[in-house]
Amino acid sequence: MHGPDIQWYVILSAILFTTGALGVLLRRNPLIILLSVEIMLNSANLLLIAFSRLHGREDGQVFAISVMAVAASEVVVGLGLIVAMGRRHVELDVDKLRTLRG
Amino acid sequence: MIQGAWACLLLPLAAALAITIAGTRISRRTAAFISTLTAMAAFVEAVIVFAEMWGKSPGDRAGSTTSWTWLSAGPYHFGFTLLVDQLSVMMMLIVSGVGSLIVAYSVGYMDGEDEERRFFAYMSLFLFSMLLLVEGGNLLLLLAGWGMVGLSSYLLIGYYQEREAAVAAAKKAFIMNAFGDATMALALFLLIQHTGRLDYASVFAHSPVGGTVANLIALGLLGGAVAKSAQIPLHTWLPDAMEGPTPVSALIHAATMVTAGVYLIVRCHPLFENAYVIQDLAAGLGAATLLMAGLIALVQMDIKKVIAYSTMSQIGYMFVGAGIGAYPSAMFHLMTHAFFKALLFLASGIAIHALTGEQDIRRMRGVGKLMPFTKWVFLAGSLALVGIFPFAGFFSKDSIISACLQHGTYGAILWLACVIGAFLTGVYAFRLFFIVFTGEPSEFAREHYHAHHGKEGPVSMLWPVGVLAVLSCIGGFLQWAPLWTPLTTWLSPVAAPLVEPTSTQEWTTSAIAIVIGLAGIGVAYLFYGARSIPVPKTWPVLEKKFYWDEIYDFVWYRSSDAIARGLDTFIERPYIAGSISAVSGLAGEGSRELSAAQTGLVRTYVLALASGLAILAFVFLAAR
Repeated sequence: MHGPDIQWYVILSAILFTTGALGVLLRRNPLIILLSVEIMLNSANLLLIAFSRLHGREDGQVFAISVMAVAASEVVVGLGLIVAMGRRHVELDVDKLRTLRG
Repeated sequence: MIQGAWACLLLPLAAALAITIAGTRISRRTAAFISTLTAMAAFVEAVIVFAEMWGKSPGDRAGSTTSWTWLSAGPYHFGFTLLVDQLSVMMMLIVSGVGSLIVAYSVGYMDGEDEERRFFAYMSLFLFSMLLLVEGGNLLLLLAGWGMVGLSSYLLIGYYQEREAAVAAAKKAFIMNAFGDATMALALFLLIQHTGRLDYASVFAHSPVGGTVANLIALGLLGGAVAKSAQIPLHTWLPDAMEGPTPVSALIHAATMVTAGVYLIVRCHPLFENAYVIQDLAAGLGAATLLMAGLIALVQMDIKKVIAYSTMSQIGYMFVGAGIGAYPSAMFHLMTHAFFKALLFLASGIAIHALTGEQDIRRMRGVGKLMPFTKWVFLAGSLALVGIFPFAGFFSKDSIISACLQHGTYGAILWLACVIGAFLTGVYAFRLFFIVFTGEPSEFAREHYHAHHGKEGPVSMLWPVGVLAVLSCIGGFLQWAPLWTPLTTWLSPVAAPLVEPTSTQEWTTSAIAIVIGLAGIGVAYLFYGARSIPVPKTWPVLEKKFYWDEIYDFVWYRSSDAIARGLDTFIERPYIAGSISAVSGLAGEGSRELSAAQTGLVRTYVLALASGLAILAFVFLAAR
């Protein structure tokens, strides 16, 4: 087997996940939040593929593809919403969208 | 014989069903004729049954047949049994005979009512129920008929359903009768427990003799009899029941249904003889009722209410007779009473009908001058009621009174009560007669009297009254103790009398009763006929009918009302309603507090998710 050890993949994945989580938590622009969510999803994909390679089995790859499909659909919906917000001249700031508060 | 009994029972039911199903497709007249003709056919069937029975020897006159098992529960089986014996055929003749006369009378009386069809369907239903009551071969069928006559009585009292008083009276009658039905049902439960059967023969053979159980059984049956026959203490419904149409008062509340209590005691006399205390109680209640009702009847101003109280009083006599064991005399009085009381009601109905529904005797005053036929038949009925020779009441009432003398000291007290009652009967019956039918017509009577094609009423109303008047005059000669006693002989296999007064007692009592009755008539004449003595001021206790309604109102209604109000104030509002509002308040407050967590900010949610995940991860990885 070539390439770095499995712990490097885990560390990279953790960094990516933390970056994404921080992005979701700290940024207000829904576009950026959507991007951060994608980063988190892909960190998970990275882990799946890394372990799949480590064990020499294909299940992880199958899961990664499924996650990509789900992520793609999610982006379609999310981007659609954001475009609709832009068309309606709603300010792109999730903190302003508080209609659902209790 | 049995087929005749079935036909007699089912014809009125068929009429009730036919009228109900046909509805508006048949004319009112047709409904009236269906009802009348089936009632008459039922009477013919009863006569046929009687004739067949007449031809047999006294020993095997009774016959019963079980058509099918009606109810079966574990080891108990109750058949749909018809019992035709000397007693039930006598009741069949009275019910269908007087019943068909009264239904025929209703054709004229109810003419022009809006819902004549409903009236005749109810009348046929009543006849069926009453015939079921008297023909039923076991106590369960008797109870079924008992409940159904209560129902039809309720329906007919409340016939004028737009009148509030009629509806209230119907409810009152139904509730008080339901009380009696309940005590009867309890007695039946005891009988099932102790004998396992409900058909008359085995119940009489196996029921306990003496002791608490026998007393309770008899007391339960007596409760039913007292409620149905309007005796103290369950009598207050009968005067109110006069809200129903007059033929209903005549048929149900004078001639047949209210006398069912007497029939019950006579039919179940072995059970009452097993509990002689209760039988004495029945006689005592009858005596108390006959005195009280006689006193109240003295001051009533409504013609039908006077006759209603008179009915209570006469049934009191029958209870005395049944209570001391003079069963044939009680049944004889039941029969003659059916004749003359139906006559009195129907005759007053003619007057009421001709005076556009007026029932107040002060305004009906002197109507006899305008209606001579009604006046004479009413006089015949009144004489029969007071018991003047040779009218029907004389023979039957006197044999009850003289039988009292065979019952020891208690009997002597009953005898005295009955004789005083005879005096009261004379006064109230002839007070009514003198006020309504003698003297100059009042202004109201002159103004409102309208003849029916030159006659006092439609022919369909007059001829039944004529028949009843003839029966009231001569019907008593059926039995004149001690000269001839065919009725006692006839009934002996079923209900042999326990007491046989001597001829001296018969004659003395008859003489005393006639003198007392005539004295009553004389008193009534002085006050109301000649009007030579001013009528004394009446006691309020009589006008208030001995305060029974007020007492019941206080004891049952007001007390439960007060308890309910107390519970409402002290339990319902603070604890039950209070606890519910406390729970809802708590939930509302709590969710208002919790909703603060729902900020609407995406980042808070994400933070919550992320920290939750972190905690889970910590728990699973580090803290394992």
